[in-house]
Amino acid sequence: MNNRGVTILICTAVFIAGLILTVDAKAHEMTPTYPKFESSFVSGVMKTKMRLFNRRNDVKYYEIGVFDSEWKPVPFVTSYKLLQMDYLETVSFDLYINTKDLSNSTYICSKSKLIKSDVISTGIASRICSKIK
Amino acid sequence: MKNILTAVTATLALNVMATDVPVSGNVQMRCLITTDIPGVYGNPLPQKLSTATADGGVLPVVRYDVTLADSYKAKITTPTSFSSSPALIDTVTWTGSTSVAQTSDAGMSGYEAAKVTYDATTEYDLTVAGSTWFSATLSATNGYDKAFPGGVYSAVLVAECIAK
Repeated sequence: MNNRGVTILICTAVFIAGLILTVDAKAHEMTPTYPKFESSFVSGVMKTKMRLFNRRNDVKYYEIGVFDSEWKPVPFVTSYKLLQMDYLETVSFDLYINTKDLSNSTYICSKSKLIKSDVISTGIASRICSKIK
Repeated sequence: MKNILTAVTATLALNVMATDVPVSGNVQMRCLITTDIPGVYGNPLPQKLSTATADGGVLPVVRYDVTLADSYKAKITTPTSFSSSPALIDTVTWTGSTSVAQTSDAGMSGYEAAKVTYDATTEYDLTVAGSTWFSATLSATNGYDKAFPGGVYSAVLVAECIAK
């Protein structure tokens, strides 16, 4: 095989490897990192919009939680606390918190929920927390 | 004839217009957790399960991508129980350690030395924007050196990215 052939072979292998890595990427993303709250249509209730992106083909459910600085749960309202998401789906959701609870709220988190039967050997649960400043 | 062709070509050329197509993008401040390798337990001894390569296992690898420096903490908690397993009578001893496997920036070289470990959790301060790969060595040993009963064993590692 000449040099050109070797070069083509290496380029093809790198391309295929890159394609496999790209296709197989399993990622969890939540934005914004520092959400801002605004008044909602209900007096005494503040709201913010969060965006969740599921690039994990092994995860279909994400649990939303709001916590104070000591990681104690804070009451909040969303349409669903457990979001069902397809692979590569993006979901934007409104999150409502009482004004009196907002001052205690520090983190808005989303955690991947693994289905027991889907975990083979070791599974990885991911949790991303945005901070309310 | 030649003149006609020239005129037609000139007319066509006048009709060809270049248009600028704007391509815009927005890089948000974010943290992305990617599960590069889920990991597999090897079974080097009847009473031991381990993800170490020397034990026939595969290390789980998690990648953190951050687009804003000094804004996030990575917390990785190794498992202390099986999420599913056959019935076990004896106490299982769990060990786990997390380390930086690869970085995208030379400025991340201090991550490993600066990590904080407590219980089964290891915390890293992500002070540099870019990608960091973390791997975890996990092992579970059955009590009194008794063999693990046959069956499927699985455990879950938790990777967290917390905004500072």
